Amino acid sequence: MFRRILIANRGEIAVRIIRACREMGIEAVAVYSDADAHALHVSMADRAVRIGPPPASASYLSSDAIIAAARDTGAEAVHPGYGFLAENHDFAFACANAGLVFIGPPGPVIQQMGSKIAARQLAARAGAPVVPGETPADQRDESIAAAARRIGFPVLLKPAEGGGGIGMKAVLEEAGLLPAIAQARREARAAFGDGTLYVERLIARPRHVEVQILADDHGHVVHLFERECSIQRRHQKVIEETPSTALTPALRARMGEAAVAVARAAGYRNAGTIEFLLDMEGRAFYFLEMNTRLQVEHPVTEQVVGVDIVRAQIAVAAGQPLPWSQQQLSQRGHAIEARVYAEDAARNDLPQAGPLLLYREPSMPGVRVDSGYAEGGEVSVHYDPLMAKVIASGETRETARARLLAALRTYPILGIQTNIPLLLELLEHPRFIAGDVDTQFLDQEGDAIRARLVTDPPPEVLAVAEQAVRAPASGTRASATTDHDPWSVLRGIRV
Amino acid sequence: MSETQGSGIKGQGSGEHTEVRVLGDGRYQVVSEGRSTIAYAAAGNGGTWVFLQGRTYFVQTEQPSGRRGGRADDELALSAPMPATVVAVNVVPGQQVARGDVLVTLEAMKMELAIKAPRDGTVRRIACRAGELVQPGVPLVELE
Repeated sequence: MFRRILIANRGEIAVRIIRACREMGIEAVAVYSDADAHALHVSMADRAVRIGPPPASASYLSSDAIIAAARDTGAEAVHPGYGFLAENHDFAFACANAGLVFIGPPGPVIQQMGSKIAARQLAARAGAPVVPGETPADQRDESIAAAARRIGFPVLLKPAEGGGGIGMKAVLEEAGLLPAIAQARREARAAFGDGTLYVERLIARPRHVEVQILADDHGHVVHLFERECSIQRRHQKVIEETPSTALTPALRARMGEAAVAVARAAGYRNAGTIEFLLDMEGRAFYFLEMNTRLQVEHPVTEQVVGVDIVRAQIAVAAGQPLPWSQQQLSQRGHAIEARVYAEDAARNDLPQAGPLLLYREPSMPGVRVDSGYAEGGEVSVHYDPLMAKVIASGETRETARARLLAALRTYPILGIQTNIPLLLELLEHPRFIAGDVDTQFLDQEGDAIRARLVTDPPPEVLAVAEQAVRAPASGTRASATTDHDPWSVLRGIRV
Repeated sequence: MSETQGSGIKGQGSGEHTEVRVLGDGRYQVVSEGRSTIAYAAAGNGGTWVFLQGRTYFVQTEQPSGRRGGRADDELALSAPMPATVVAVNVVPGQQVARGDVLVTLEAMKMELAIKAPRDGTVRRIACRAGELVQPGVPLVELE
C-alpha cells in the first residue's frame, strides 16, 4: 500500500479523498492555488504545496507543477478527483513517466473513452446501444452545421474533450445553430483548452441513468448498480439518487451487464461510470459516454451498496484485488444527494462569491455532508460553484427525502446566497415525489419553482435582524453598526 | 456567553407577536404564535444575513448610497454582477439597441453571463473590451 498520496484537486472532493487516506493510514498531500491558501482541504491535509496563482490553468490544471509537488513531497501516487486533470490522458502519462501511480485508469484507456467517437464505437462493439452522433473532422461552422443537418434536429453540441455538462448546447432548429456553435466552441476552449465539438441527436425528455463500475488488475469487473441523475440544470446535475424509480429489476440487470461489458472491452481499471440515456417509456437505453474517474455523486452508491469507492480506488491502484465480488453487492434502502451550489437560485442561478460569515453543517441520523468549506472560509470566483453535497439515506425513498429536507432546512450558510431554497422546492415538487422526472424537468418547471423563491422576509426574519443589530456581540462577527441606534438603523430596510 | 434577551416586536400588520432569544454564536430562538424555531444571523455587506427554515435573507440595515431611479437602474443592469471576464462585446457606439439585446457576454465560474439592454436606446460608450477582467458595480456599456 502507498505511504503518501498527492491529491490533485480542491474543494469537497479533495477533502473526501483526504478522509479516505486518513482512514487507511496514508499521508495526504494537498496542492493549492493562492486563492485557496486558507481552504479546508489545505488545513486538513498532512502536507500542502502551493502550485500557482488562482486561475486553474496556472494551478490545478498545471500538470508540471503538480508532478513537481508530488516528487518534492515523496508521494507515490496521485489521486486526480474529478474535473481538472482527472480525464486528461497526458497527465496520466506524465504521472507514469515520473514514476507516480495515477489513481484511475491507464492513459490509453482515458484517451480512448475520452474520445466520444472511439467510446461509442467501442460500446457498440461491446453490444451496448448508442445514440447517433459524430465529431466532424472539419470543425468550421459550416461543416458542424452540415453534420447537425445530417443527424437531424434537435441536436446537442458538446465539447469533444469535455465532460460534466460544461459547454453543452441544445439546438432545436436551424435558426439557433450558428450562434450556438460559436458559444459552445468558446466555452469548450475556455474549460478544456480545446474547441473541438461533437454533434449528437438529442433524445427528447430522456432520463439520465448511469452505472458505477470498478475493475482491478486481476480480471475482476463489477458494477455497483445505477444512479438516477435526471434533475439537471444546464446539463449540470443537481439532485441524484439510487435506486432509480424508473428501473425494473430486469432492466437494471441488463444495464449493469452492458456497463460491465463496455468496461471489459475497454480494458478498464479502477472506478468509472457508464452514462446511459433512458427513453421516456423507460424501456430502451443508450450508451452516452463513459466517465473515466470518480463521480461527484458517488456517495449515493456508497450509502446504498455499503461500500467505500474511494478506498477501493486506492486499493485497486496499489494492485490489490477488488474487495467484493458481484454476488456480494446489493442495494439496500435508498439515498438522495443534493448539490449545494454557491448560486442565487432566486436570481437565475447567478454565481456567488464571498466570505462565509456563518456556516454550520447539519448533523442528524442518515445524513452525510461532503463539503469543501468551513466557517470563515471564502467562496472564490475562480472555481466551480459546487460547495458541498448533502446525502440522505433511509430504508425507503420517502425516508431519505424527508431526511434530506430536514438537513437542508438546518444548513445555514450566511454571506452569500446558495441554491438551498431551490433544492427544497425540488424535493417537495409533486413530480419529484412521484419519481416522474426527466432531464427536461428543470427546464419545464424551473420558472414556476423560481417564482416561488422570490419572497419578502417574514416578520420573524426582521425580528432576528433587529436583535442581531442590537446584540451583535453574540453573533460570530461584531457588527459595524453597534454605535447606531438600532431602531433608526432598521428604518429603510431593503431586501 | 448565552445571554437571554427577549425582544417583542409586532409582526407586519398581522398582529402576531414574535419573541427572539439570543442563544449565542449566531443562533437565535424565534417563538412566534407559540411555535419555536432556530434562526441564524451574521452581520456583513452593510446589513444582516439571516437564515430561517432553509432560506437566506439579507436585510439591509445601512442606507444604500447610490441614487435610485432611471440612471442608477441602468448602471446596475449594465454592470457585471460579480468579478468576471469579458468574452465578447456585441455592440458599437452609436448602435441602436432594443430592450433584451445582449450587449456584452461575460464568463465567470465557467459559465457565460449575458449583459442585456434594460431598455431601448442608443449605445453612447463601451467601457470594457474582450479578455478584460471586470469588477462588479462598474457599468460596461453606457446607453443614451
